[in-house]
Amino acid sequence: MESEQPSPDTEHESAREEAHLPSPTLWPIGFAIGIVVVLVGLIIDPLLISTIGAVIAIVFGFLWARDATAELREERVVVEPERRELPDAGAEDDPHQVTLTPVTDTQVTRSVFLEGATLGLGAAIGGLITIPVAGFAVLPGFLGQELHKVDLGPIERFPLNQWYVATFIVDPTQGEVSKRAAFLRNNGTVADPKTNQQVPSFSIISNRCTHLGCPTQANGPSGLRFTGKPTIKQHTLTGPAEFVPVVPAGYGCPCHGSQFDTEGNRTAGPAPRALDRYAFEINHGRLVLLGTYSVSEVVGTGAQAQIYKYKQAGPGEHINGPEQWLYPLQPPHN
Amino acid sequence: MAAIPKEKPSAVDEKRAEFARYKADVKARGKPFYPYAMFHDTIMSLVVVCTIIGLAVIWKWSAWAPGHDPTHPGILGPEIDSPANPGTTSFVPRPDWYFYFLFYLLRVFKWPESVFLGTIGVPTIALVLLLMLPFLDRRQVRRPSARPVAMVAAVLTIVSMGVLTWKGATANEALASEVVQNIPKWIKDEQLPKNAVPGVNLFARAGCTACHTYDGVGGALLGAPDLTQIADRHLGIATQIKHLNNPSSVTPGSPMPSFSSLGQERLRQLAIFLEASKGTH
Amino acid sequence: MATTAYKRKPSKSELRRQTVEELVVYPFDWLEERSGLVGGIKYFLFRKVPADINWMQTLGSAALTAFLVQAITGVILAMYYVPSADIDPHTGQPVAWESIVNITDHLTLGWLVRGMHRWGASIFIILMFLHMGRVFLFGAYKYPRELNWIVGVLILVMGMMEGFTGYLLPWDQTAYWATVVGINLNGTAPFLGPWLAQFLRGGQEISGATLTRFYSLHMLVIPGGIIALITLHLYLVIRLGVTSPPWSEDAAGGEPEEADAERRRSGLTRPVPRPAGAQAMQAEPGGSE
Repeated sequence: MESEQPSPDTEHESAREEAHLPSPTLWPIGFAIGIVVVLVGLIIDPLLISTIGAVIAIVFGFLWARDATAELREERVVVEPERRELPDAGAEDDPHQVTLTPVTDTQVTRSVFLEGATLGLGAAIGGLITIPVAGFAVLPGFLGQELHKVDLGPIERFPLNQWYVATFIVDPTQGEVSKRAAFLRNNGTVADPKTNQQVPSFSIISNRCTHLGCPTQANGPSGLRFTGKPTIKQHTLTGPAEFVPVVPAGYGCPCHGSQFDTEGNRTAGPAPRALDRYAFEINHGRLVLLGTYSVSEVVGTGAQAQIYKYKQAGPGEHINGPEQWLYPLQPPHN
Repeated sequence: MAAIPKEKPSAVDEKRAEFARYKADVKARGKPFYPYAMFHDTIMSLVVVCTIIGLAVIWKWSAWAPGHDPTHPGILGPEIDSPANPGTTSFVPRPDWYFYFLFYLLRVFKWPESVFLGTIGVPTIALVLLLMLPFLDRRQVRRPSARPVAMVAAVLTIVSMGVLTWKGATANEALASEVVQNIPKWIKDEQLPKNAVPGVNLFARAGCTACHTYDGVGGALLGAPDLTQIADRHLGIATQIKHLNNPSSVTPGSPMPSFSSLGQERLRQLAIFLEASKGTH
Repeated sequence: MATTAYKRKPSKSELRRQTVEELVVYPFDWLEERSGLVGGIKYFLFRKVPADINWMQTLGSAALTAFLVQAITGVILAMYYVPSADIDPHTGQPVAWESIVNITDHLTLGWLVRGMHRWGASIFIILMFLHMGRVFLFGAYKYPRELNWIVGVLILVMGMMEGFTGYLLPWDQTAYWATVVGINLNGTAPFLGPWLAQFLRGGQEISGATLTRFYSLHMLVIPGGIIALITLHLYLVIRLGVTSPPWSEDAAGGEPEEADAERRRSGLTRPVPRPAGAQAMQAEPGGSE
């Protein structure tokens, strides 16, 4: 194939059997830009932009034509050769050569500096990319844990000493995914130790097994047919809630065989502690659930029960005894 | 170079020499991967793909084909369960089948102090042993007949994982949601009279089968006796009620909890049912 | 004396054949000169393997096939599956659950692709265990293949994690509760357990955030890891070579009966050192190695 590169030596051009090529020139680029501006100007603003484009095209076109016809006018166009010859190594009679001074170990050479800079900058870039991304992946699960209060309706709705399996929505914005179940009973009233007044007492026991979080079931007949009490369905201030009457002899877990008594104490199986409970408050005569807390054991039943309360811990974690030191720091809870 | 006494070849040198021999031998007498080995691979891959497609087809036609009875899930399980309900009190959670061995391990360690063995201890140790296997066994010998420890360990591992998987598959807690479907069978098998029906309904729902077995259903835990023929002990209704109210008063040292919270009327119904359970016919 | 080789003029059909051959070979040569890939593939295809390899040694590539089935069916399912735990206001069901029902019941051949993906997962795990058992039986985890064994165990663990994350995606009761237990299991690890569990859940409780991050893990993180490890695994197999069955007597790697007998007679614990080099083996015609 013939070479398409113009010979750098124009005076030998005629001696070769090559196609006649014009001398190299960059002005066509400007000419092309001028043409484009003309065309664009026709769309946007013919008067102003096309005129500018035409001027550019004319100027660069003139320069291009001048270059292309250079050899007709016998002018020589000096062109840099495409391949540079490397300077001879060790040319000692070159007055411009700089003699390099030998480098001692204490000096930081250019290569050492470049190495360090590359690694350092690379680490910095890595950090800049990873830390925000990793933070985004990890932090949202830990921050912004807020307490959601659940309204369960007026306390008169709950007959005395009747257990119910309560299902309710904890966070209305999340909807069904935040549905929870608890074993709930109205214990009547108990004397508040601080004020000596009678305050309502409820047992509200979370149904999540404290072994690994499976949903425990009440060991006992449930529903209207077997208990003679109706199911209560209501739409409270925070969402729908359902209360199914049940007569439990205890609660059992279908996963690995944990059993609990009616107060939530563990009676059998691998659960490390009693079932968690919901704290509650009475707001304008309505039962409002607060957050959950963990329980090591409950002594006594109903309104007189002594509940040994602890901060909420995850399933499977010990909250007292020596094993509690396996879980010294809990992630943020509500 | 002064004469250096020839050392015995070190273990690493021997391994390297043997590997070099292997490489040379394969080069001299091996066959090209394509087409010889690749043909076997292709056949096996075809079998695998056909198996996967076959299972998918069987699943569809057993679970939800047109004209199929939706109450029976079929041998490969239902198309899909009901949507996730975090507030359920009647669901029995299970993992995918290849986790059954770990699942059953959790059921083995029932004492709370030992639970960590099932959750963290045994699986972690097993995984570490598996990873470190090439460093535990550094002998070059590969013939099974010359590796007794390895073969015994392999058989023990395979058998125990198989047993754990099978036990995990058949495990059930016998809680109310699982047990109630057996009631018609019990009534038929034991030929229970009409006045025992309220009792059998209670019995299935009160969690008795968590510890007792009855007509082949239930978990035999904590030494709880089988109740299929409990009437043959002629305990009488009064004793049954007394026992249900306070088990230790009838059976000293019994771990059975009191069922007095069910109410005396329900205890009476249970007692009638128990006294009617004369065994299957 | 110069002799000129007498070349017969090639016939027309021979010329045609030559031209066709050149045309066929040309693209490969073009590619090979610019990338070297063709040479690599040729090496992979035509490398020598022991002459007496067993059918059991197809389990590894069978596992790879199962993984490819999973990858392809997974990509297709991803076009129709929606990883959202929100409730569809029209039907009252979770959107993710509905998209699965949609795939299975309403889309053409959706039942087949979903079925293949679901059962392909089980087959993939079974094949990995069988392959691991075969490698153990053959002693193919010993020098120099220790690294390959470790990589293989890591692939197995990642495969099971892939199954665990994928199990949540249909968002039905089985999926939800199996995930509750699985995450809480991780949460019981000492010190960092509760933090790991909360990270996996994306909060204190399982929610829509859990579903989306499990989807990301299942689609991107774990498959990326598995693909990287499988690539390393295959590279090591090609580089280190395939073993022959341990009971083979004359192919590479087998211990010959006579050397074994001699060893036992002489009371040595290590095999008798054989003369080094391939020539020694070739020089014994009919002798088994």
